[in-house]
Amino acid sequence: MLKRTVALALGLSLGVSSAALAATWTGGDDLPTNPLACNGTPGKAEAKPYDGGVPTNAPDRKGKPIKVVDVPKLIGIGYFNATSKGIADAAKELGNVEAKTDGPTQANIDQQISFIDNYITSGVDGILFAANDPVAIAPVLKKALAAGINVVGYDANSQPDARQWFVNQAEFNGIAKALVDNMAKEVGEDASFAIVTSTFTTPNQARWISEMEAYQAKCHPNMKWLETVEAQEDNVLSFNQATTLINKHGDDLKGIFGMTSVATPASAEAVTQAGKCGKISVVGLATPNAMKPYVEKDCVKSVVLWNPVDLGYAALQVLRATADGDLKPGATSVKAGKLGDLQVINGSEILLGAPFTFTKDNIKDFDF
Amino acid sequence: MTATLRSLLRHETILAILLVLVLAALATQSDRFFTTANLLNQGRLMAEVGLVALVMTFVIVTGGIDLSVGSILGLTAILLGVFWHNLGLPLPVAMVLAIVAAGIGGLINGLIITRFKVPPLIATLATLALYRGLAEGISQARSVRGYPEWFFVLGQGEVLGVPTQLWILGALVVIAAVVLGLTTFGRATYATGANETGARFSGIGVDRTKLLIYTASGLVAGLAGVIFVSRVSTTRSDMGTGLELDVITAVVLGGTSIFGGRGTIIGTVLGLILMQALKNGLALSGVKGDGTIVVIGLVLILAIVASNLFSREGDG
Repeated sequence: MLKRTVALALGLSLGVSSAALAATWTGGDDLPTNPLACNGTPGKAEAKPYDGGVPTNAPDRKGKPIKVVDVPKLIGIGYFNATSKGIADAAKELGNVEAKTDGPTQANIDQQISFIDNYITSGVDGILFAANDPVAIAPVLKKALAAGINVVGYDANSQPDARQWFVNQAEFNGIAKALVDNMAKEVGEDASFAIVTSTFTTPNQARWISEMEAYQAKCHPNMKWLETVEAQEDNVLSFNQATTLINKHGDDLKGIFGMTSVATPASAEAVTQAGKCGKISVVGLATPNAMKPYVEKDCVKSVVLWNPVDLGYAALQVLRATADGDLKPGATSVKAGKLGDLQVINGSEILLGAPFTFTKDNIKDFDF
Repeated sequence: MTATLRSLLRHETILAILLVLVLAALATQSDRFFTTANLLNQGRLMAEVGLVALVMTFVIVTGGIDLSVGSILGLTAILLGVFWHNLGLPLPVAMVLAIVAAGIGGLINGLIITRFKVPPLIATLATLALYRGLAEGISQARSVRGYPEWFFVLGQGEVLGVPTQLWILGALVVIAAVVLGLTTFGRATYATGANETGARFSGIGVDRTKLLIYTASGLVAGLAGVIFVSRVSTTRSDMGTGLELDVITAVVLGGTSIFGGRGTIIGTVLGLILMQALKNGLALSGVKGDGTIVVIGLVLILAIVASNLFSREGDG
């Protein structure tokens, strides 16, 4: 009886897993893609009606001091330290916002939900968030809206109706183009590459990978996609995964894309330690400080990112404008302090700007 | 010391006093802590850990440990999505099958431990990796969303004003307390943990007891997984990562001896509430996340040390 149950269980799990494995998987999501033109013509923004949520019975907060909490994916890493600094800068400049950053020490959706839940209970006026999962975070954000709290996302979106606005650091197809173009320039049009990402369901990374796939197929059709591996935004795991890729694919592997600010430096370190500098190119998203050693040694030539300090700054400015009632559904732009007017795209998103490529010539001008 | 005084100084009593002190202290720190809405909401958040902690009490009383519960939770979540979405089964059937699969996961733990004499720590450490790997492999990182409205009653809804999963937790607390405290099976559990060889020679079915307990541990982890999916409305292969640590902390805080033979359901429930109250109350009074973890660690050490001091006096 026992043996039969165990055999059944094994059979069942094998059957299920082989069915799921049948389709090849690159780490992208299933949403439609919109690759940019190969020659750099900017994509045109399509007008879409407002699709964000609305807080219930929010009090009139115009010009009044408000309490804001920022719950990023996790705390204690360079990237979110930088957004947190931007938020603090904006709070200082505005003068009527009391902002603090708090969140889980691991990128864990369950803990992030608990943090937001507790802050709803403690009675804040505004919540800024960077979602660990777009769907899982939605119920707790809707609860915040229902409690009359202003909710603005940045960096990683939730479902649109669970928040009011989302500050988009760069359009996905823009980032995808910058990454793939830089890689093609470094390793050639017919080289093979692999990707180190956070987890396959992290919304940003999955979206970028889908767009990269579409853009590469359109503009660099001869490049070969080897595989995508998960590394959880964990330093050691990212290093191990990159090392495994180098050993597994040998000379076939010409390039590694790092999709997170943790995976990119870890991949660069793996390439350095394997003595493959110059043979394997690392192109990825990362903060400049983490990449300086590799860029200065010529091991890494291009690092793509936006400015996370500006991102945090813009997020708080948008939240303040929303609380004041200056940013209403249907607006086409918003004033964001020193950043000037930012454009509203995709119904309820605010675009920070075009992505930025750090190279050996400019990386020393940045400190975050 | 008289017998009454000794029984008063049991770990559970100390813990209950500590809990009252903590609750009182937290209530003075934030006026939003001691409200019905907040307390019920906290109940919702602790239900998953609570369910798993109940059976973990049995596991630890037998002198074992089950590290694979978080991975089983993740695997159940993924299987629920796969059964319902990919194989097209009706959702209630998918829920039952996913929980059964979790039970089989627990049974496999039990078989490895009893048949092959592998220490529980090693056996479940291995299945912790194995089940998580299966979850990630089966899901291929695709998350399943778009569950029907009625499914969310389990994790987000309420019955008679109390969150649905608190009713489930409450019912299982009573069942677990009765089984551990008042039945022959409960006595066999204590006997197995206190002196396994002795229990075997007394004719107690030690292996059968363990097998049932590890299977039950898988089953409740599966149930917690289904509730978790309903609460967050999506499945992810990394769900429940680190759950085992929260669960074991609650159980050990509740006075269950990690060497086996000693522990109660009441203690586990108190430990669970104390931990959740600290997490919530400290957050409400403005302590940041990293500070909260430090306090929970300190309270755990404090509770164990205090209990050891008193019980040494009491026993001596």
